[in-house]
Amino acid sequence: MQIKLCMVGAFAVGKSSLVQRYVQSVFSEKYHTTVGVKIDKKDVTVDGATTRMMLWDLAGEDAFSHLQTTYLRGCSGYILVADGTRAHTLDAALALNGRIERELGLLPFVLVLNKEDLAAGWEIPGERITALEAAGIRVLRSSAKNGAGVEAIFAHFARAPTAACIG
Amino acid sequence: MSAVVRAGDDRDSLGAALAALNLIVLRRETDGRFQRLNSAPDWSGLLGQSAEATGGGIELAGRSDFLDNFLIDALALWLKGEPGRIHSGLWLETDARGSDWPLEAQAVVASADQLLIIQQLSEEYAERVQVMQSARNHLLAEEALEREVMRRTAAVRQREEEIAIRLLAAAGTRDEETGSHVRRIGLFSAALGTALGWDAVRTADIRVAAPMHDIGKIGIPDKILQKPGKLTPEEYKVMQQHTVIGANMLGGSDIPVLRMSRDIALCHHERWDGTGYPNGLQGERIPIEARIVAIVDVYDAMINRRVYKEPIPEAEVLATMAAASGRHFDPDLFALFMHILPEIQSIRASVPE
Repeated sequence: MQIKLCMVGAFAVGKSSLVQRYVQSVFSEKYHTTVGVKIDKKDVTVDGATTRMMLWDLAGEDAFSHLQTTYLRGCSGYILVADGTRAHTLDAALALNGRIERELGLLPFVLVLNKEDLAAGWEIPGERITALEAAGIRVLRSSAKNGAGVEAIFAHFARAPTAACIG
Repeated sequence: MSAVVRAGDDRDSLGAALAALNLIVLRRETDGRFQRLNSAPDWSGLLGQSAEATGGGIELAGRSDFLDNFLIDALALWLKGEPGRIHSGLWLETDARGSDWPLEAQAVVASADQLLIIQQLSEEYAERVQVMQSARNHLLAEEALEREVMRRTAAVRQREEEIAIRLLAAAGTRDEETGSHVRRIGLFSAALGTALGWDAVRTADIRVAAPMHDIGKIGIPDKILQKPGKLTPEEYKVMQQHTVIGANMLGGSDIPVLRMSRDIALCHHERWDGTGYPNGLQGERIPIEARIVAIVDVYDAMINRRVYKEPIPEAEVLATMAAASGRHFDPDLFALFMHILPEIQSIRASVPE
């Protein structure tokens, strides 16, 4: 079985770092911007069944770069990433989510608040996270730097790929 | 393009130009396979073709996940048959050794030919990455600077608020009211400002300015200010002067927060229907900051205990205020106040008497 997952979000929130941490167990402190699309693969075995994860790392959005939603075609879900230390990246992620839903319909997704290792300096208030969860959004916290919560993001899709495959 | 450029035929000027551009030109045939129209660059193996396959039909499906996705859009263009072109955007194709190759594809309809052009962008990619990295590093630095400015501004605001409240307390003008009351007036006012869509600076200004609304009471004689019974008409006239005294104390400054404080001090007893004081201003001629303070000051004064009165239940307070909306209070602002009542109640709970 093969599933396609897309990493989306504003720039410098840690999309590529999460993929690198998950696929290669590495992390770089230096920010390396992603230009274009990079596809990584990882085989995972859950309950005896092997699933190939195709991870589409899409360049972050900003004034210079806009997400082409056609890249998400056929995906089993997407991972909406925001940086907990930069509140506006959550606004950007939610705006992106709205655009994806308008253009592609409802697809499974999780919202990942990355950089949990810097939680003391987070700008996103807990009440806002609680409100998102109350609205039915699955919110996960992660740190690509120390690996916390990273496996859980991808395992979420690997465990229930058929349920996730509505795209 | 009508003629097939054969492998190794780089003597042909077009072939040489295509080679210089580091691209593969493919024509889609009726069977859905592709015919290469130029000699194969060394990286063409990335897409599963052999360099010697020139002239043979090439099956592209399943060679590259990214390209498969783009071919869906390309097919739509080709089947439409009208002259046009679409771009795939840049992607990195990883070879068997783990090296990334920056590629970009275009689907083109030209002279009834259905063409797919794939270009390898090594140098251009490096330039794009450099430009983008530089731009985003700059944006991140700006963001960090902005956050630091906001953090320091918030610290300054907090100090201003503290100074204002301590001055009010030191002046002894608010015997009947507490420091908590004036702090809540600031927070309630800021909540309404936020609900109105004000920016952070204006909202922070009213949080500091609103607590000073009664500062002019410093100029009212104690015998009137602290009189336990009802004021005579003459005494009431004197009492009304606290608005003008406060405005005079705070006026004449170019500092925005003091200008706002002055307007609030002068106009917070004006009424929407024009029956207030000191100038009988009506409706939107009353500064909006003063209209806000008029609402939150009455709410907080009624709902809390004072030396001269017991607290009034909130439902009763709100009913009384609702009856005065449109006469005493700006009706739109009062509606907004009711809309954010849960937030107001949360502020009350966080700043008790």
